[in-house]
Amino acid sequence: MSATARGYCATSDPWVVSNFALATRIDKGKPSFTNHTMSAAPSEKLPDGGAKKAIKLPPTEKSGDVRRRSFIVLSFWAVVVMLGLPFWWYTTSIYRANLPLDRMLEWADGKACQPVLPITVAFEAEGLAAPDAQELVRLTQGMLDQQSDLAAHQIRLQPGNTDDAALTLQFTPGKQMGATLDSREASLKINYPSGTTVSNPSDAAALATYLAQELRAAFAEERAIISHLLNQPLQNQSPETIEALSKRTTRSMRYASTYHLTFSLFTDGPSPSTWDIEEAVDRYMRPMLDILRPIHNFTVDTQLQLYATPGVQSQVLSKEDLSSFINAAEWPLSPSIGGAPTVNFVLFVGNQTIGNAGSDATSQSWMIPQWGTVYLLPLSDSTAHVDSEILRQPMLTFGGHLLTLLGTPQSGSLPLRLSTLTRIRSLDLLLHASSTLGSLARLSISLPSISIPRTVADGVAASLDHLEKACANLGGPEGLYHARIAESEAEKSFFEKSMVGQLYFPDEHKIAVYLPLLGPVGVPLVLGLIKELKGWKQRRKDAKETKDKKKQ
Amino acid sequence: MPETMTLRGKAGIYAGAALLRLLLFVAFPSLPDLLTSRVEISTPVTSFKRLQEGLFLYNHNVSPYDGGVFHQAPLLLPLFSLLPDVRALPIFTALLYILVDILSAEALMRIAASGEAVQSRLFTSPRRIRQASSLVVVACYLFNPLSIASCLGRTTSVFTNCATLWAVAKAIDGSPFNAMVALSFASYLSMYPLLLLPPTILLAYDHQLLKGRTQAAPTFAVKNVAIVLVVLGMLLGMSWALDSQSWEFLGRTYGIQLTLNDLNPNVGLWWYFFIEMFDSFRSFFLAVFWLHLSSYVGGLSIRIRTQPLVVIVLLLGIFSIFKPYPSIADTSLFLGTLPLYRHVFPLMRYSFVAAAVLAYATFLGPAFFHLWIYAGSGNANFFYAITLVWSLGQSLLVSDLTFATLRDEWEVERPEMVGKEVKQI
Repeated sequence: MSATARGYCATSDPWVVSNFALATRIDKGKPSFTNHTMSAAPSEKLPDGGAKKAIKLPPTEKSGDVRRRSFIVLSFWAVVVMLGLPFWWYTTSIYRANLPLDRMLEWADGKACQPVLPITVAFEAEGLAAPDAQELVRLTQGMLDQQSDLAAHQIRLQPGNTDDAALTLQFTPGKQMGATLDSREASLKINYPSGTTVSNPSDAAALATYLAQELRAAFAEERAIISHLLNQPLQNQSPETIEALSKRTTRSMRYASTYHLTFSLFTDGPSPSTWDIEEAVDRYMRPMLDILRPIHNFTVDTQLQLYATPGVQSQVLSKEDLSSFINAAEWPLSPSIGGAPTVNFVLFVGNQTIGNAGSDATSQSWMIPQWGTVYLLPLSDSTAHVDSEILRQPMLTFGGHLLTLLGTPQSGSLPLRLSTLTRIRSLDLLLHASSTLGSLARLSISLPSISIPRTVADGVAASLDHLEKACANLGGPEGLYHARIAESEAEKSFFEKSMVGQLYFPDEHKIAVYLPLLGPVGVPLVLGLIKELKGWKQRRKDAKETKDKKKQ
Repeated sequence: MPETMTLRGKAGIYAGAALLRLLLFVAFPSLPDLLTSRVEISTPVTSFKRLQEGLFLYNHNVSPYDGGVFHQAPLLLPLFSLLPDVRALPIFTALLYILVDILSAEALMRIAASGEAVQSRLFTSPRRIRQASSLVVVACYLFNPLSIASCLGRTTSVFTNCATLWAVAKAIDGSPFNAMVALSFASYLSMYPLLLLPPTILLAYDHQLLKGRTQAAPTFAVKNVAIVLVVLGMLLGMSWALDSQSWEFLGRTYGIQLTLNDLNPNVGLWWYFFIEMFDSFRSFFLAVFWLHLSSYVGGLSIRIRTQPLVVIVLLLGIFSIFKPYPSIADTSLFLGTLPLYRHVFPLMRYSFVAAAVLAYATFLGPAFFHLWIYAGSGNANFFYAITLVWSLGQSLLVSDLTFATLRDEWEVERPEMVGKEVKQI
């Protein structure tokens, strides 16, 4: 540059104070006159030719000042590079724990586990000789396997008495073929003509066919429910059956390990004001709750409210009225206490009656799907105290409805129904956990910027582990236990708070986050750095030129 | 004679300021409590109310941090538990705060009297004749309504302010050890004064040389940093012993300032920003805000190496704008040190605008806060807007003072340009 040759290193604008960089900056390398805007003299406004004389050239910037400016720029950049960048890297990098995506998707697609619910049927044949009994078991099992149309549902006969049997076959010789399900125990009583001998092939075949048919009939409802859960419709299922199955699903509450039972007594007048609910619960409900214990826990609370107005005032309640009978605005029926889902049992003392009683309810009560039961109790006005004897019928109704609300099948004796419930619930939970894991896997694939905390990975691992154990032990209480844990772990992982917050955060938003603050801060920083680098290059060039000159 | 005049004047100002504060404390007994609950005065890390809560827990042998509202240094607790109960005998607390204010004023008086503002080791201002008298400086500080309000509001920032001022005064006095101890106390109480360490060391170093004690700069710096570290370590160790030998207090005092977990509104810029911030970027922007606050230290110390005191003053201004929990007590410290540069005031270009903006924000701030919180006819944006104006006013002052000092320096280099208009690009 000629400027250097003339002996002026820097020529213009000695007087630039930047508020932020706090450095007097000098625009170098440009001819001085054009942007020498800040000298004081008004005479500057003369035409170019005259101005040349009027403007004094500012003195050269001291080399100390130049160095100082470099240090200032450097000090800002040192903060940015040495502290800012590591912080940026550390605080905004997204932690994505490794998820076993393939395994999760396998579970979701049903490839990882072919659910098989073995139903052990004990074969108590006291009247038959052991080889005969074995022969009969073999034949009947063959028949059952042949007729089986649902791989997940397998009835397995086992000679002798076993504890974990879902059903026991009891043989008694009689006049003719006949079978009755015991109404109290899980046993099927078989009568067979006393002359029948198993060694006779035709007799044996007839007996085996009959047995297979009866067993299939006994588990027909369970089979239908399982096929519905697995979404594998059985042959020759009528639309009504399918509708009944989906009705069961809508009626029953979602599975929870603990339910909260609320017994409420509402009266439309001042009496009764006391009730023997504790005794009634102990006497009529407790036995059933104890039986249900392996599957669910229950907590109980009770309440009583006088002068409660129902949502419908008419004397005779029609079917449409039933849904609006509960006065949700005024009755203190809290939706949930302590996280566990609440089942409400409402006993309403009043003189209202149900007009056309539904076929599946008594004329005094009705069930509200996934919510609970209402029971209308007519009492004389003078009754001030409801004793446990009056509560007997309502309690038994509540008990029956509770089973339905929990999703228990309708037919069979109570132990049989409960063992069926265990199997249905295990399968239900297994499927639910698998599909949750699948959703989580798909979510993490489709959103690459979502963070996946360590806890989620741990939850998924635990869930997969328990799913495998559940799959191996399906049908028994152990299977239910593992399925339960698997499901809760999967749910917890899916609804992890820190993940949900970042669900919708596309990369474009980051510009909006960074730019408003870092843009204005960054511009002077970057421009300062560029200027410094330019000046440094220039100085090096100049130094080289002077060196060359000296050599010449 | 002028010596005694000054002495008498000094005593008069101190007595007047003390009496005014005492009068306010006694004549309006509800005023201190009203001011204590104002967000402009009390921040989560300086509030007297929160100190009372911590004190109550401390006196009942419960960890003061268990309540979740006390975020101040643990060593304040034994100090305040020596005083009689504030509800029964508020006068003792009042006297302590008045005493601290007078002590700060004394430090300021020494700083002003030393003339460091006009004549440092490396630079002598051509305008040194126009230097403000130290009495004026002290009066401006003591009778500043913001100082009086923060004294009445009994915020614990006044202790920090006092320690900071003494650190500067001692550095000028030529006793770097005392300066470093005072700075350690200030840093222990509020953390941010630690950023004043580089300019304070420079200031102390200059005065070492002026006193004829030559010493290599790096050795001097290392020595002073070591003093600060040792004193801070001792203070933290005492706190550790006091807080039932746990380090919990670190997270509850300094951690709160670093992570801004308490989003109480204040006159600063942080709270609104971090209420609105996406959670995933929160920690990043916390780092950005802190780095922004601390990045000025290096640049300013290098640029105005010749006048370390002005660096300290400018940094105090910057802190009162950009620190996480600023209050008017921080502003009062900056405004208190500002008159030291009375001689460059004529070079400032926006003094009227800045003063008007500050006055405007001072009056409208409480009104907007009332509209938001009590009347419900405004929202958070009202108050945030006025805090932006407040910060704008202060940043105008800071940048204008920077300009004025640089111009003052420049006129030494270029005497022919004195009095001429310059343009900033």
